[in-house]
Amino acid sequence: MISATAAPARFEAAYSCGPVRLVLTFDDRSLRDALHGLLSQYDAPWSAPATIVHVTVGNGTAPRETAKPAGTYLRLHRLSVDWNGSRLLSLGNIGVWMEFDPAASRARIAVPVHPDTPALVEEIEQQFVLLLARSWAQEGWTPLHAGSLVLPGETRCVLLCAPSGAGKTTFIAALLRRGWHTLGDDKILLRMEGSEVVARALARRFHLHPSSSRWFPEAGDLDIWPRYSRWTDKRVVQIEKVWPGRLLDRAVPAAAVQLERSENGPALLIEPLDPINTLNTLLRQVAIPGDAGHARPLVACIAATAVRLPAALIKIGQDAFADPSTAERLDAELRRLLP
Amino acid sequence: MQTQTDNHRWMLRPDVVSTVLNDGAVILDLRSKFFFSANLTGWAIAQMFETGATRAEIHTASRQWGANGADTQAIDGVIDQMISEGLVEPANAPASAVAGVAVAAWIPPALTKHREPLQRIMVSAFDPGLPLAE
Repeated sequence: MISATAAPARFEAAYSCGPVRLVLTFDDRSLRDALHGLLSQYDAPWSAPATIVHVTVGNGTAPRETAKPAGTYLRLHRLSVDWNGSRLLSLGNIGVWMEFDPAASRARIAVPVHPDTPALVEEIEQQFVLLLARSWAQEGWTPLHAGSLVLPGETRCVLLCAPSGAGKTTFIAALLRRGWHTLGDDKILLRMEGSEVVARALARRFHLHPSSSRWFPEAGDLDIWPRYSRWTDKRVVQIEKVWPGRLLDRAVPAAAVQLERSENGPALLIEPLDPINTLNTLLRQVAIPGDAGHARPLVACIAATAVRLPAALIKIGQDAFADPSTAERLDAELRRLLP
Repeated sequence: MQTQTDNHRWMLRPDVVSTVLNDGAVILDLRSKFFFSANLTGWAIAQMFETGATRAEIHTASRQWGANGADTQAIDGVIDQMISEGLVEPANAPASAVAGVAVAAWIPPALTKHREPLQRIMVSAFDPGLPLAE
């Protein structure tokens, strides 16, 4: 018999996400299970001791006494985020609330009752991405939305910058087949270490569209892999299962590529990028918050990275990888770009 | 405008961040999301605004850095641009707080505004850009 005063059941989980370890307590088991896909993706190994952030995810709403965030810190599609000097206050479009105290390494996420469960889960996921991005930055890392290619036999890498859907993963996969290595297809952390900028891997998975198996038959039937999100057909593919031995944990950025998809242009168009456009390209891959104290180290890291890197704009035409010479030309171009 | 504001003290807004590059600096306005690149002397002028400076103090410092009469227009151009872009705001701080900025070799100052601002609304805290249609 359950006592009327018994504490409600709690469900726990823990995830290592790069240099940060999340210790989570949920009111709701189904939420714990729903978030596993997101939180298990940051699975690149980190040997250094992790900072632990405790997060409770419970039923509830934003505290009544708290002003609605105006988005002065960050305005995201799903979230408005303010910084009150000591805490991040973040409210989602359908009411998921987060309060994160980075100094105390504690956060609370309140989840309202809402009929659209997938939307609710996506909003909680966005709160976790925000929490992780700030936690990584607290540890001195700059989260960069970019892929990477590491020269075979070396630790120097090319940063590959483009919006989601522009073809970063396909580009990387085409060169993995030619012996290149990678830190991942869209998420890396950057940090100054002495006079050097270092890039670290976060995730050991690619987001590949099932149709790309026509160019990469070794990838097999990509439909068997789990779907990345309800908004895309892309699948979450473990890189090592398809291209064994091609994942690295760490590299030194030595060049950058701004990648664009060209609908009607030639298969491949390559132009040099000047330092200011290189900086522009890299800055656009970082979510820079509105708080100067938080923005300054991110901007400094990106500027320090940009000034060191020769860069190129590469436009890739539709179905360019159907021609094997495309990968060959890209291989040669990246080698030429690396000093 | 120039004579009216000669002795007005201006200061970089607190939500303007800057970082040094090899041959100057990048200045990012976190409110408008526009960023600017400054050459070495443009950066030296911007640095004087970190602790507050008047137009007259900047001209005096510029002469010490090697500027001559022919540079007046370029110096005023950078100051006017910083005021009109809202990178600086009127300062209430008293005089005497001017930063000790050094310039190794004088060149006419320049401040270049980049055409496109950084994203104002982002997809996520890790992925600022809008995804392209598949």
